[in-house]
Amino acid sequence: MRSKALLLGLLCAVAAQTARAQPPAPAEIKIGALYASSGPYASISMPVSAGFRLWVDQTNANGGAEVKAFGKKIPLKLIAYDDQSSTATAATLYNQLITRDHVDLLIADSGSVLTSVGVPIAKEHKQFLFDVSGTGAAFFTDDNPYVALMADPVSTIWPHYISDFLADDGAKAGIKTVAILFSTNDFTGTQAAALKGFFEKDGKVKVVYYQGVPTTTSNYTVLINNIAAVNPDAVLELGYVGNDIAFLRNLQDSGNQFRFVFSIYAGVEKEEIEKNVGASALTHIYTYVPPSNYEYVPEVGMTQKEFHAAWDKKYPPGSNVTFGANAVYGYMTGLVVERALATAKSLDQMDIHDAVFALSGKLKTLDGTFILRKDGAQIGEVTPLGQLQPEGKDALTLVAVYPPDMANGKAVIGK
Amino acid sequence: MRNTRIRRIVLDTGIAAAVVIAMGVARGVYSNELMLFNFIIFLALAQGLNIIYGFTGYLPFGYVGFYGAGAYGFALVVMHLHAPALIGMAAAGVAALVLAVILLPLLRLSGAYFAIASMAAAQAVYEIVANPDLEDITKGPYGVSLADVFAPAFSYYTALAILAATLLLVVWLRNSRFGMSLQAIRDDSISAAMAGVSVVRGRTIAWLLSALIAGLVGGVFAWHISVFYPDTAFDLSVSIFATVFLLFGGATTLCGPLLGVFILYGIYNVIGIAVPQYFQFTYGALIVLLVLFLPNGLVSLLTSRGIRVP
Amino acid sequence: MLIGAIIAGIVFGLYYTLVGLGLNLVFGVMRIVNLAHGDFLMLGGIAAWWLFTTLGLHPLASAGLVIVVFVLVGLPLYYLVVPRLLRSRDSEMLSLILFFGLSQMIEAVTTIGLGATERSLPPRLLGVGPIILFGTRLPKAWIFSAVASAIAVLLVYLYLYRTRLGTLTRAVMVSRDEALATGIDVNFVSAVAFGISIALAGVAGVFAPFILGSITPNMGVAINITAFAVIVVGTLGNPLGTLLGGIIYGVSLMLMQTYLSSWANLLPNLLLIAVLLVRPEGILGRRVRRA
Repeated sequence: MRSKALLLGLLCAVAAQTARAQPPAPAEIKIGALYASSGPYASISMPVSAGFRLWVDQTNANGGAEVKAFGKKIPLKLIAYDDQSSTATAATLYNQLITRDHVDLLIADSGSVLTSVGVPIAKEHKQFLFDVSGTGAAFFTDDNPYVALMADPVSTIWPHYISDFLADDGAKAGIKTVAILFSTNDFTGTQAAALKGFFEKDGKVKVVYYQGVPTTTSNYTVLINNIAAVNPDAVLELGYVGNDIAFLRNLQDSGNQFRFVFSIYAGVEKEEIEKNVGASALTHIYTYVPPSNYEYVPEVGMTQKEFHAAWDKKYPPGSNVTFGANAVYGYMTGLVVERALATAKSLDQMDIHDAVFALSGKLKTLDGTFILRKDGAQIGEVTPLGQLQPEGKDALTLVAVYPPDMANGKAVIGK
Repeated sequence: MRNTRIRRIVLDTGIAAAVVIAMGVARGVYSNELMLFNFIIFLALAQGLNIIYGFTGYLPFGYVGFYGAGAYGFALVVMHLHAPALIGMAAAGVAALVLAVILLPLLRLSGAYFAIASMAAAQAVYEIVANPDLEDITKGPYGVSLADVFAPAFSYYTALAILAATLLLVVWLRNSRFGMSLQAIRDDSISAAMAGVSVVRGRTIAWLLSALIAGLVGGVFAWHISVFYPDTAFDLSVSIFATVFLLFGGATTLCGPLLGVFILYGIYNVIGIAVPQYFQFTYGALIVLLVLFLPNGLVSLLTSRGIRVP
Repeated sequence: MLIGAIIAGIVFGLYYTLVGLGLNLVFGVMRIVNLAHGDFLMLGGIAAWWLFTTLGLHPLASAGLVIVVFVLVGLPLYYLVVPRLLRSRDSEMLSLILFFGLSQMIEAVTTIGLGATERSLPPRLLGVGPIILFGTRLPKAWIFSAVASAIAVLLVYLYLYRTRLGTLTRAVMVSRDEALATGIDVNFVSAVAFGISIALAGVAGVFAPFILGSITPNMGVAINITAFAVIVVGTLGNPLGTLLGGIIYGVSLMLMQTYLSSWANLLPNLLLIAVLLVRPEGILGRRVRRA
């Protein structure tokens, strides 16, 4: 009887010992990521991937990331696969990263479509998914702790400042009617629906034109003529980069003038749009002011200016990736990873989850303030409303005009 | 004569069983389940396409339309009726069959006309499903989430069962009078009609079977993957992959499409994981070379020497 | 709005005539479907972009250069690929696969070389501001491309009906075997048609930045699907029917954008199926049904 108790005691002691003993620190932290080098999502995916790589290289140049679980700096190893914008391939590769490569941290590809397949896979394998910019509403549910949105807000809250501005300054300047033209995909469709709801709730500005067009639409001449026919004061065009380029060029070609014109990517990917559309067609266009064009005061990581300089050094002009919001998103995701590693108790995925959620409301970077809803949706990092205003000859500067506490210039509303 | 026929059936069935068992066992051995699942999907799709192309000569470039219809048939029943997954699978099959019946008139077209028209049909179904005006029904472009019925193991073995049924169907077609009459129609429809073969009936049955398989595969895909967008379910590359695998292996045979999938999709995954940067180029070049140097598929290396390939 | 949509549709449709013209010529002569047609169009656009950014060449000058270079590329490409392809059992089907592979290669090389971002040419090159046609505001670039398309159609017509090589080309279109039997150098005739086809795609590509806003390496597939619709509606295998197909496509697209915009992409597909089923020989005729 006594010997049995002794044995039991011994067993307990051994068990406690093993539980307390740290596993040996790994030689490297494995980070798995996907990118799309070709196909429809390549133009958003490549800058994100490049931004993230910049962070990895920088971290490794400093001897690795500080990992609290092991109390020391450990180099990072990035395992990145190309899904070529195919969801079927992406699904296989997400699984490959989890089940074959046993990565410590899993980073999704950009955009909702390529992120979507990763969400259930990550959940099934209890692997936390760092969702860079997949804003799909279906990803975030209370019963799934294994996903969080890093770098941009969910589409339902993103366009808030547009309607606020129009209901406030816009209404004062006599803007009464608005036309909304959107591309029918998850990202822009959700924003359009949200905006329509905001306008109806505010009751200050009336929606007189609300039409979706296929995302592949590349000519807007007739659509613009049709919008002109209902004579709205404001026109909001919500599309992807290709849509915005075509819309803005066609708008200039058509010679139609509206008092307030909004396009997402005119600011979000300013360099790219400016190259393709030209400064004259962009003058006085309203847009989001992305973190690549706004000076937040970061508490972690580089400032926007420093990051832009580092980017230009690593990817000099003429290389195939353009600086813009997506570049910041990639780097921003790196910063979340950095802080999570520096604070997580262990590399257990729930500890990673806890560490990431603990950053909510506290992490201030060049992308604004990182705030997570309980289900993992990003509700911070909302971009101010901005306007492209002329600066000298043939040059444009992106001025934040709303909300007032973030504004660094005054809005010019057309006559 | 009778003995050779029985021996052939036994051999064909043996091969089919070996593939199914191998894919079943592989799940316990190899941990990237999704890769295995995608193999099963493409094995079944390539064989489904084999039924219509190999036995009747019609190549539907929009084969993915049935796959997408199946995926959404599954999703709609599960989302709106909260039905269990197996009811969803039945709905997937029905959705594809309904679409196939609607598209029956396309069979009056020939060659590239048929191929292109079927692709347009698949695109049209996609445009309808993905339209925001139908958000209340299909969730439009915003994608569906079927977390309630998510069951990786059950859906994996269901996919395997679909594959088994498909392979047996091909075995039957290769060894039955019906299959022979289909091939006769393919080679010379006028003579076949004069010999008393019902051309229209034969083609219709092959078309419906082929669509049914794609629909079931689409349904099980929806079940297994559980979160997806219309772009995923109607991705044209699904058609293209299945077609390339089928042609590479060799149509009308049982082994051809199997080899096609195992070799080409195998290479695809190896390149994708080992040398992702030249992925697309390597794959494109491979396709070009295959069509130029092995236009009748791998099995033609043997069949052209008079050797029968199962 | 109705009249405006119709006028814009006709002008816009003329551009799509140019896009489909070469695809149809190849199908007519060789009975193969060049799934890489849209990628050659993309290359034409890239060429114009490159010539402008490095040499400052005006796109209209680039168009001339593109024609010459693309014909010279098309000839050897034909001999490298097509004769071998035509020897196979089902070349019409296999062509879909082969050119899909080629399309992947072109897209991959372009992406590796230039990245996946949008590229364009400054709008001012073809004139900023609208031209008002029967009360409808249209971009100047649309007029340029419509004129270029009309010229291309005219030249193809003259080639087919007024030159000796064109007569031989038409003979091959009627029956490749009979043409071979009468001693026509079928391969040379086809190679020239192939070269012309690629050149037409290239020219359409030069205008693409102005019509479609920008060009990206992956734009080929979408262009191809539309081009199919255009040539099927306008009669497959009859290059001149493309004119009709383009205009029908353009007008109906603009009407859809006006009255049912979110369904606009459904249209080319339904149009294509409807035409094939109701009048499978195409609007201008030629039998394609079997049994």
